[in-house]
Amino acid sequence: MAVADNPIKAPKTLPFSFVPQEPETAVANNPHAKASTQVADIVKALESELGDAVHETVVYAGEHTVRVARDRIEDACRFLKEALGFLYLVDIGGSDRFTEDDRYEVFYNLVNITEGKRIRLKVRVDESDMTVRTVTGVYPAANWNERECWDMFGISFEGHPDMRRMFMPEDFEYYPLRKEFPLLGVPGSLPLPPQAPTGTLTPDPFPAAHGHKPPKSFEEVKIEEDKG
Amino acid sequence: MSSISQTDWSETLKFWPRHNEALYRRLESKHSWLEHSGDGAPVDPLENQMVLNIGPQHPATHGVLRCVVQLDGETIQKCVLDIGYLHRGVEKIAENKTYQEFMPYTDRMDYLSPYSNNVAWCLAVEKLAAIEVPERAQWIRMMMSELARISSHLLWMGVGLMDAGAVSVFLWAFQFREDIYTIFDEVTGARLTVSHARIGGVATDLNDTGINLITDFVQRLPAAITGWENLLNRNRIWIDRNVGIGVMTGEEVVARGMTGPNLRGSGVAYDIRHFEPYLKYNEVDFNIPIRTEGDALARYFVRLDEMKESIKIIRQCLEKLKTVKGPVRTDDAKRAYPNKDEVYYSMEGLIHDFMYTDTGVAPPKGAAVYHAIEAPKGELGFYLESDGTGNPWRAKMNSPSFTNLQGLEEMMVGAHMGDMVILIGTVDPVLGEADK
Repeated sequence: MAVADNPIKAPKTLPFSFVPQEPETAVANNPHAKASTQVADIVKALESELGDAVHETVVYAGEHTVRVARDRIEDACRFLKEALGFLYLVDIGGSDRFTEDDRYEVFYNLVNITEGKRIRLKVRVDESDMTVRTVTGVYPAANWNERECWDMFGISFEGHPDMRRMFMPEDFEYYPLRKEFPLLGVPGSLPLPPQAPTGTLTPDPFPAAHGHKPPKSFEEVKIEEDKG
Repeated sequence: MSSISQTDWSETLKFWPRHNEALYRRLESKHSWLEHSGDGAPVDPLENQMVLNIGPQHPATHGVLRCVVQLDGETIQKCVLDIGYLHRGVEKIAENKTYQEFMPYTDRMDYLSPYSNNVAWCLAVEKLAAIEVPERAQWIRMMMSELARISSHLLWMGVGLMDAGAVSVFLWAFQFREDIYTIFDEVTGARLTVSHARIGGVATDLNDTGINLITDFVQRLPAAITGWENLLNRNRIWIDRNVGIGVMTGEEVVARGMTGPNLRGSGVAYDIRHFEPYLKYNEVDFNIPIRTEGDALARYFVRLDEMKESIKIIRQCLEKLKTVKGPVRTDDAKRAYPNKDEVYYSMEGLIHDFMYTDTGVAPPKGAAVYHAIEAPKGELGFYLESDGTGNPWRAKMNSPSFTNLQGLEEMMVGAHMGDMVILIGTVDPVLGEADK
């Protein structure tokens, strides 16, 4: 019998970019799923309030992530806060979906303390228009988190009272958590203080990698003697 | 040769000029600003107003926190906090590491309670990849996290008291912290950077010496706490320094997003251990201390009571560990490191160990979860996104110190300059975690 006739022996070509996939069953009943994230009724209320502005609801590990239209995020937050008691904003963060359309994402992690509920909202931001309406008017706690998002991804929040960088100095010209930003940083982008008391600013954070040997702070600085 | 072409740095010799400019603009300090611009506008004739930079290098700022305050006499009119001096970009680093490889980095975030951070990270990854943790490992994690809580609160107390001028409590607290470090050394092999939790369990089981050390510690600590309470709870100086300082109402702390004892000191009952119990917190008996006053003193009482509750939890864990036996790590080579015996004495074990180090756990593509624990300073959560490979696509850390510091800015307004040090202490920030 020929090998090709036997379906078991037929060679199977693995796709080139093989990615190990978890079996679906393992994900269905997640041992760490929490009761607080079971918020199907709240998602329904949000859908009826916002209508078409709710683009998608993803459930993973029992957590509901509701993606809403970018221009309705403030309305969504205000509805959740005022009608459904989500008074507490835990976290805001960005994410770079490099190579996809609508490249950036901003997520909002909201909690209803009294009823013990947690929900996550999401908006997508395209590279052509990197602005999202701020939610600081609804949740003052969003202030620093939005600044962090601006600092790390360059997503600016329209109407934010204080749109400064959070961690990096204002003199820094890049957005480090974007996927194209190199892990080792951009040499010269962030000058460091002088290495010796009489030295100049250190422009390169990794001088040894570029063939330089800056003086250590404990080393005597050689002073050119005047021979005249 | 360097790739830097710029050689003349005289223009940029002023260190971070644009940064400082933005900071002062935020302060809207007419005094410093007008004088600076020199447009002839009248400056404060009595010279009551003043802008003061405290930090980043200042012992009372608990790290590298920079507070730029605008003073009117002794009252703080406005405060702008400048953080980021310890920014190491751990989120960026996480994207370039496997899930297990990143775990030791969490030690360096809140370096006062590294064990809690390890647990927080591992739990988030386990949720992302749906990995079960053996029961014994859960009890061990819980017990060690509570020890980390005590250690963190002890430091807060010692340093807080020293900020107020009392050095002896600092030394007493550090005696017990030293005991906790000895326990960590025995159990995990490291005093500070413990790195003991593994995805799917913990690295090693407890031995008898470790159990005895912990038992001895929880026997001695309550008496010491009673002694401190006798000294402090009716201490005129300590009470006067703290009562009515930095008052935040329940609505204010929720609006500002503060967490942990700062939230519970204002009467908001939000503790992740009750809110969404992780590990075995739903099986132990403990209380969540809550105060309603919302001042620095209330937060002191909350933290002191939390230490007592932690002892209660540790006692129950010790009791449970006598009966709950079994493995301390998931026996599944695709999800957790294999046992060391297996690695050293079998070929499969070695291959699995290698594979796990190289690729590790690979959660499904597009999965995203958020898992939070109640760290000593509040809600510590990790938001993880997976792209189906062994490296996280995005790891966002929600650190309690960061959110608490945001509330500190508000708390400072209207306070006296002399209380500033107490206020920083009462919020209990760790800049390693706030700066990421």
